[in-house]
Amino acid sequence: MSEVILDQVSKSFSDTAALDKVSMIIPDESFVVLLGPSGAGKTTTLRMVSGLDKPDSGSIVIEGVTVTDHTPAQRNVAMVFQQYSLYPHLTVRENLEFPLKSPLLNTAKKDIGEKVSAVAELLQISHKLDNKVTELSGGEMQRVSIGRALVRTPNIFLMDEPLSSLDAKLRADLRIELKRIQSDSGATLLYVTHDQIEAMTMATHVGVLDKGKLVQFGPPREIYENPVSIYAASRLGQPRINVLPADIFGSAPGGAKFIGLRPEQIVQGRGESATVRRVEHLGDQTRLHLLFNKHEIITVTDAHTELKSGDELRIQPKDAFFFDDQGIRLI
Amino acid sequence: MSEETNTQSKQSPSGNRLSKVRGLSDRAIAWIFISPTILILLAINIFPLIWTVYLSFTNYRVNRPNKEVEFVGLRNYERILSDSDIWITMQATAHFLIWTIILQVVIGFTLAYLINKKFKGNDLWTTIIVLPMMLSPAVVGNFWTFLYQPQIGLFNYVVGFVSGADPSSFSMIGDVALAPWSIVIVDTWMWTPFVMLICLAGLRSIPDSIYEAAECDRASKWRQFWTITIPMVLPFLMLAVLFRGIENFKMFDLVVQLTGGGPGSITELTSINLKREAFEKWRTGYASAYAVILFVSIFGIASIYVKALNKVKSR
Repeated sequence: MSEVILDQVSKSFSDTAALDKVSMIIPDESFVVLLGPSGAGKTTTLRMVSGLDKPDSGSIVIEGVTVTDHTPAQRNVAMVFQQYSLYPHLTVRENLEFPLKSPLLNTAKKDIGEKVSAVAELLQISHKLDNKVTELSGGEMQRVSIGRALVRTPNIFLMDEPLSSLDAKLRADLRIELKRIQSDSGATLLYVTHDQIEAMTMATHVGVLDKGKLVQFGPPREIYENPVSIYAASRLGQPRINVLPADIFGSAPGGAKFIGLRPEQIVQGRGESATVRRVEHLGDQTRLHLLFNKHEIITVTDAHTELKSGDELRIQPKDAFFFDDQGIRLI
Repeated sequence: MSEETNTQSKQSPSGNRLSKVRGLSDRAIAWIFISPTILILLAINIFPLIWTVYLSFTNYRVNRPNKEVEFVGLRNYERILSDSDIWITMQATAHFLIWTIILQVVIGFTLAYLINKKFKGNDLWTTIIVLPMMLSPAVVGNFWTFLYQPQIGLFNYVVGFVSGADPSSFSMIGDVALAPWSIVIVDTWMWTPFVMLICLAGLRSIPDSIYEAAECDRASKWRQFWTITIPMVLPFLMLAVLFRGIENFKMFDLVVQLTGGGPGSITELTSINLKREAFEKWRTGYASAYAVILFVSIFGIASIYVKALNKVKSR
């Protein structure tokens, strides 16, 4: 496993810039999650590292070797595609064996069999090994697709929303499983998602992309607690950060246009009065929809709260974020 | 089902009333619509087939309608299967069939593979390559007789230019050794584009992402070709072979125009031979038995082949 460095990587498709001078260091044995809405450049970044697309400018270094002009095979990367991309004419077993049969690896027949059954076991598809992949459900296909990457020991695993088509339970299971595999084997992983729970639970580092630019890169806690902009702050946290006019609670620092409040930055029971509009009991927590000075605020309260719609609640900001008119963090 | 009919009748009360007035059920209307087709099919396909089978057991001759028709049992079949001339005809057909299929599949697939690479003007090239297929076989047969002309023919000139031999020293159509190849060349020239189009459809059905996955799985281009391209195009290739096989088994027009079955009967394919028996020698009963044998063999081979094709498809 190895360190991957992107240096000033840019890529345009016809007239639109998909990536704009993205630089990032993916440390050895790290689990890097790229976050951002569709069109932010997540998948493009992945394809740059894989070698399926070549950057217009900039360079990519894997394990100390500049690989910008290398093919995917030369880079030794394993990729999990969002649309599965399984070999439709082959069985599950043959799909899993395919990368191991590469002459570059020269794997012994016995080892191939062992690796395939180990991975099939892990992904709970052992009973389907001799089925054709076209006979599988979407979730099973995606597991085969993940398995096809896991049978290898590449420089880096690249995964493009691998869990997005799975049902909630399997997704939760595989999330833990992927994290376990990564930390046990010391694999380096670059992972694309728009699911912030995946980012928070699995990532050692999160990269936030916005319109082809890398706006923030760091451990998920750091991005959560110390976002550089409204955009970065909105990527993590549920319910989302509340963004209000800066002076809504009185004085604001100079140049501040917006105040950003996560639920834990809103103290309840003190300060100014707000009206409860809706109470959502989610079981482990309760969400409050408040109306404050004609602005809606969503926060979290005690799971067993007595509050109900129409009640008054006093709120006060604590260690709030302030942003300028461009949405860039000031304090 | 009943719910569907209910909503339908609610939506179109007028249509419902109309069919009630006429006293016709949906099923009856369906029969009225398809019966002309069925009648025509029966009249021009099924009836002649049965009639041919009947005639094959008689000594009927169409040019002597007043002569009494005698039932001869299997004698026509015996005579055909023991006739050595017919076996020579069969060999000529087999030679034609096997070589046209091999050449058309190899060249057609290669062309499709090249055209499928994204390059500038590949649409134009596709159109140009497909042109021969749009011509009439009679026209093609006719102008190739000019191309094959030893003195003025372009084909002989090009072969002579490349090999250094004298263009007028050989005649593709007149030479006993070359004539079987002359019809193979023309059929290949004309119908390779058809095979190419089918292969192209097959190649275009393979999504790019599968090749991308294979590239990430470190498969070489060579391995991608043999483990992805070929298996995924195979059903299409087999379909092309089926079409060309059936077509060429009954090949008539092109070869009649080109060689007329000659020299001697070297290029006399079964369908030409059959036409001669039926409409030159007027041995109708005998020719009917001949036709039945051909029909059964094509039908049998095609059925086995289609089974194999379905197996490959469902793999």
